[in-house]
Amino acid sequence: MVLSRRRFFEELAAVGGLSLAMAGMDALGFGFSSAQAAPPTLTGKGKGTRVVILGAGLAGMTAAYELTKAGYDCHVIEARSFAGGRCQTSRKGFTDTDLMGHKQTCDFDEGLYINHGPWRIPYHHRSTLHYTKLFGVALESFVNDNDASYIYFEKGKGALAGKPVRKRQIAADARGYAAELLAKCVGKGDLDGALTPEDRDRFIAYLISEGRLSPKTQTYVGTDRRGYDIPHGAGVDPGPGKVSPPFTLTDVLESDTWKALASLSEFEQQATMFQPAGGMDHIAKGFERNVGHLIRYSTEVQKLVQDDKGVEVFFKGVDGAVGSVKADYCVCTIPLSVLKNIDLGVSPKFKAAMAGVSYAPVNKIGLQMKRRFWEEDHFIYGGHVYTDMPGIGSISLPSTGWQGQKGVILGYYAFGAEAARVSAKPPADRAAFAVAAGQKVFPQYAESFETAFSFSWHLAKYNLGGWAEWSEEGRATAYPVLCEPDGRVYLAGEHLSYIGGWQAGAIESAWQQIGKIHARVNAA
Amino acid sequence: MTMRLIAGAAALLLNAGSALAQTPDAAPLSGKDQFEATCSACHQVTGLGIPGAFPALAGNVFLQGDERAVVSTVLNGRGGMPTFKADLSDAQIAAILTYVRSAWGNKAAPVAPATVAAVRAQLAPPKPAGLQAH
Repeated sequence: MVLSRRRFFEELAAVGGLSLAMAGMDALGFGFSSAQAAPPTLTGKGKGTRVVILGAGLAGMTAAYELTKAGYDCHVIEARSFAGGRCQTSRKGFTDTDLMGHKQTCDFDEGLYINHGPWRIPYHHRSTLHYTKLFGVALESFVNDNDASYIYFEKGKGALAGKPVRKRQIAADARGYAAELLAKCVGKGDLDGALTPEDRDRFIAYLISEGRLSPKTQTYVGTDRRGYDIPHGAGVDPGPGKVSPPFTLTDVLESDTWKALASLSEFEQQATMFQPAGGMDHIAKGFERNVGHLIRYSTEVQKLVQDDKGVEVFFKGVDGAVGSVKADYCVCTIPLSVLKNIDLGVSPKFKAAMAGVSYAPVNKIGLQMKRRFWEEDHFIYGGHVYTDMPGIGSISLPSTGWQGQKGVILGYYAFGAEAARVSAKPPADRAAFAVAAGQKVFPQYAESFETAFSFSWHLAKYNLGGWAEWSEEGRATAYPVLCEPDGRVYLAGEHLSYIGGWQAGAIESAWQQIGKIHARVNAA
Repeated sequence: MTMRLIAGAAALLLNAGSALAQTPDAAPLSGKDQFEATCSACHQVTGLGIPGAFPALAGNVFLQGDERAVVSTVLNGRGGMPTFKADLSDAQIAAILTYVRSAWGNKAAPVAPATVAAVRAQLAPPKPAGLQAH
């Protein structure tokens, strides 16, 4: 067996997880592309140009904020009674009625909340962080990975199937065994084609370090990375304690638990992760403080017409009042899932492109627990329980309120068909489903549960899905069409970015489109 | 191999006092029950869907047409509809489609599990799904 260098690092990533792959990637000099860091500088004339903005989510409010600053006359139309779009937080008093008619009012204790929309901000989403800094939104760390958390996989086989296992133990064993096997390959000369003699020695040193192998035998016999069966401590008793012994490689492999190791290795999931203190909607409120006076709330867009002189948007308020607003340009941030049902005066080609995307069914549920048993009994502070239970996806523990009395757990965060199925249940049954699943991991789950608030983005009238999902074909054909204006209509939102489903995608899409409008206005 | 020896003992320790929590498959549900459990959030138990959001299945011409095209839609998804290929077995999809093709006044032939299996056999192998999205 001779491995190419590239293939070799891919294998490392697959078996050993993030740190192995990162070490390899860095060595190969792969650079990170960074998100757009700052809004476009709109110098020149903008004064008096009217722009109607459809949707007061992050894309719409970004457009309104930057264009207004440059002297444009902005009018924002928002269907909901509040700004933010998907940037929402459910806390006491928050209400939602989904398309099935299920009405819920959040009754968490004062100070507790769940971000049922976006919930984390990667450190390299500099566009989002630009506005949190600008608007004084206090950030705190979001624990996106936790070595102490459990992996609970029940679809696999063997001794570890269907039981919670600490992630650090699976990670240590997978890295150890992978390093040992690679060291054996090197010893037998299998990698001689990929390594110079000097690299060979360095590589062995790396494997010993990476897998915590015995330097003499280059075998994996366990490591204190796994934690202790008898914790180490003071004096001679417990003194050095007793390190927990490794699982077998077979148990790690056939349990599927290793699948959890790479689940946070993608660029978007890497440390450091942030969240706004007190709820994600503080970002929405930051924007709203600046552009709220431009927003017409509780108003649905019904029709848009345009000619070579301008656009006119017809709307209807929840109070039944109808009206229209004329403008020179339109920035439309309505999700394509919703927009395709609105009478939109655009070309047939543009309309056909709008149908080239699908939207993800997405569920979340917040479960208020009367005691932070995950911290007190399991020593898990934030992070996710990794699981293959259908309809659950992740169980996530709060990254705020450490060592307090109560907390809100994210009981499920699931997508696709699994989400569609769970969302068919009435809210009480969704909560029962989530609690039963969590009980398999934490014996204290059901007895600690107090109240729940669930949200399904595909059942939200003004979203009809959590985020846009582009097929390769859609990206190649429909996406480029929608990124360009149709006449005087410019689309913006996460759906028109490669940072889909993230707030940064919405912001940067808006930046790009208003840059185009401004260039056009100045060229005229 | 050193690893097997040591880890064998570990596995014994870990198994002490804990039964494997493998859940047996639930009793088979009817096509109607499975439709209501899996599909009704969007298409509604009435089959009427939600206008402007989710299509009605009652009186749906496509649904009552070419069965392979319908099976393919369930397996692969379409528009806002998710793929169900990883979530539903051939027998489950056949039972659900047989139900919805004959409910609410629809009049189309039953769908056999073998038909679903045949369409599924032509799919590309599934891509591994991540545990985290956004």
